[in-house]
Amino acid sequence: MNAPIIDPLQGDFPEVIEEYLEHGVIKCVAFNHRGSLLAAGCADGSCVIWDFETRGIAKVLRDNDCAAAITSVSWSKYGHRLLVSAADKSLTLWDVSTGEKIARTTLQQTPLHARLNPGLSSPSLCLACPLSSAPMIVDFEIGCTTLLPVCVPEMPDVLAPPQRSKCPESGPPFSPAAACFNKCGDLVYVGNAKGEILIVDYKSVRVLALVPVSGGSAVKNIVFSRDGKYLLTNSHDRIIRIYENLLPAKDVLRSLEDLGKNVDGVDGVEKMKTVGSKCLTLFREFQDLVTKMHWKAPCFSGDGEWVVGGSACKGEHKIYIWDRAGHLVKILEGPKEALIDLAWHPVHPVIVSVSLTGLVYIWAKDYTENWSAFAPDFKELEENEEYVEREDEFDLMPETGKVKVSSVNEDEEVDIETVEKDAFSDSDMSVEELRYLPAEPIPDTNEEQDELKLIEARISASPASEEAGQNGHVTDLVSSPQAEEMGETRGKRKRKPSEKAMELQAEKAKASKASGRTVREKSRAVGDQEIDESVNGGGDDDDDAYY
Amino acid sequence: MPSGGNGVGNGAGTSGGSQTFKPYRHLKTLEGHTAAISCVKYSNDGSLLASASLDKSMILWSATNYSLIHRYEGHSSGVSDLAWSSDSHYTCSASDDCTLRIWDARAPYECLKVLRGHTNFVFCVNFNPPSNLIVSGSFDETIRIWEVKTGRCVRVIKEAHSMPITSVHFNRDGSLIVSGSHDGSCKIWDAKEGTCLKTLIDDKSPAVSFAKFSPNGKFILVATLDSTLKLSNYASGKFIKVYTGHTNKVFCITSAFSVTNGKYIVSGSEDNCVYLWDLQHKTILQRLQGHTDTVISVTCHPLHNQIASSANHLDRTIRIWKQEDA
Repeated sequence: MNAPIIDPLQGDFPEVIEEYLEHGVIKCVAFNHRGSLLAAGCADGSCVIWDFETRGIAKVLRDNDCAAAITSVSWSKYGHRLLVSAADKSLTLWDVSTGEKIARTTLQQTPLHARLNPGLSSPSLCLACPLSSAPMIVDFEIGCTTLLPVCVPEMPDVLAPPQRSKCPESGPPFSPAAACFNKCGDLVYVGNAKGEILIVDYKSVRVLALVPVSGGSAVKNIVFSRDGKYLLTNSHDRIIRIYENLLPAKDVLRSLEDLGKNVDGVDGVEKMKTVGSKCLTLFREFQDLVTKMHWKAPCFSGDGEWVVGGSACKGEHKIYIWDRAGHLVKILEGPKEALIDLAWHPVHPVIVSVSLTGLVYIWAKDYTENWSAFAPDFKELEENEEYVEREDEFDLMPETGKVKVSSVNEDEEVDIETVEKDAFSDSDMSVEELRYLPAEPIPDTNEEQDELKLIEARISASPASEEAGQNGHVTDLVSSPQAEEMGETRGKRKRKPSEKAMELQAEKAKASKASGRTVREKSRAVGDQEIDESVNGGGDDDDDAYY
Repeated sequence: MPSGGNGVGNGAGTSGGSQTFKPYRHLKTLEGHTAAISCVKYSNDGSLLASASLDKSMILWSATNYSLIHRYEGHSSGVSDLAWSSDSHYTCSASDDCTLRIWDARAPYECLKVLRGHTNFVFCVNFNPPSNLIVSGSFDETIRIWEVKTGRCVRVIKEAHSMPITSVHFNRDGSLIVSGSHDGSCKIWDAKEGTCLKTLIDDKSPAVSFAKFSPNGKFILVATLDSTLKLSNYASGKFIKVYTGHTNKVFCITSAFSVTNGKYIVSGSEDNCVYLWDLQHKTILQRLQGHTDTVISVTCHPLHNQIASSANHLDRTIRIWKQEDA
């Protein structure tokens, strides 16, 4: 891995917009387990999967039955399946590698969030959170939906204020609740409108524990960190709270049962609260004291070190990054378009944010050249060091020869084959992960070939700067590269506009200079006939030397 | 013209090795090219062998019976290098006509894409392990990264070197690229950002003629035109093994790791032989004789103990060598 030579001094969070992806109007995004693929739901009901390494479209999932905007996308643990929820109240389960629909069901209300069970390798079980009713478990195989409780029926308490004395099982009509699976997928954590976190065993539909959120304000989002150690809640009182998960990673249900049994003397709600206090403890609270803004789509970074939240103010695209200790480390500001979704890459310090206009912005670190990389002996120092020269440094004939003692043991065994265990294979490797969709080259059509040859023929002997345009062709004709970009790929992908404009200008400046052509100079490749001349004629002597 | 040589040279014993070295013997000679053969490579699944030549064509051979399957024509100039995709479905060739071509290794063996952008001979090419990207190095001193699916050039590393680039290779997880050049330097690049992470050698001479990562991505094998092969632990920047004895002063000869039965370094040489060294002890285990001109390229079968080697103009053949059993 390249870990040993990357500078550890740089902070591990993104800083600038690297580029943006476009495909229709995007509504929501989700990374797969390794961050090699990015799934995004569009306003027209289709779902696009980008290969995040090449930033090209790997697959488009389109269901002809569904033309309503997608509200959420969720990957299965090993990346084989994708769950898509849409505004027409439907939930669709797709097989990613074949692009086929596995199952589809329609609910009573539009699900805002839908998540596949993260504990199963081929999950057909998912959690859906509709806008205006309790979260439910939907099982595609059996074909049934189970409503989850959003509040614990309280014992009649004389001291409690009247309006809170009783609530029906399913909660008041418009009580949105947020919910998420825990890491192994056997519990559901529900955050309800009363500001409580309920730990629910969804198989038996029982509330096992209750954790009141201080302030009692409705919970809008609830999400776990990747390793399951921390839980984040975003409440209506504009505070993001981080809880530490005290439950063990495995056998969670048994631990909870044991906790419940060990609590004596209390019953009902009190018992739940006591058990709850052993499951979660409040770790940190984040809020913006100055603007007191609402947060949107808060989540953890891949390693759980950072917490990121988008500001929910209209007209601004701000992303706040805190470290787990509670310090605000960065505010990323994007173009003046409201932010509607956010995702942190599971591995790299990269953030993806979706704006109201449907563009997906990719934020990454601003790379500065590491100058010590250019010479083998150079080493970057943290601060200036005073150099003290040796006694005989400036002597004409130094006494001690400058012999570098090789500290390398040349007889040591070298292992060229073993690979270290991957940091990200955190569970059993019995199921093969779907990391990439196979890249099948799209055959060039004849028209494209002819067009390119025409363009090549037009650029005769003028040297041109190398350019990462479509198939490498930026000519002094401004219109053609853009025309090619439009036609070629379905999903457009642009670099920062200013860069392109600057390059085109440089293009025009250079094109006016005439130049002779030497074998090794940067001469433009021209049509076939001219290549034969220049390569075989002038270059033969050099050719042989290099083969 | 291929000679009938058997191919067993003086093999030095494996002093201290735990198993005695079984020599390789000549199995077959393949003819078909009409000019120097610049590159031979086995596919990852071991079923196919591809060879590229200065006669502008590429030939696909079966690796089971070594019959000719298909001859790919299309380049307008000699081909210097070729690479296989990880799933063994596609090959990519780098040519002096400044383009790269992606070919289908399955019927109907079409040329699927032409990658244009380099402004001078394209000398070396490789796929990344997921095979969604291709890296190429050229005489125009740039390294280009291409998207396989659309053929779009994703990144250009300009002024990567100050002389022609002789070799480019991705590491095991596709995050790094190593490049070697005639300017004597060997550099490691971040594949995502295109920034230089490290420079391994920076002397003006000798030229670096070949560089590649070890199978686990921890070491880099570097060949320089002073008849030396070095194995470097690139994280520390130190050269831990040096292999000599062959001749390599002019041509960019490829070398390979052989790991199917004992660990060897295999390389061609300008004295017309294929050399095998013990990886740990650096001793020459065998010199395979038979070619009648410089052996430019060698490749090791991924599963069986076989080596394929190809030679320069005066020879124009590919020889298959097989290790003796028991």
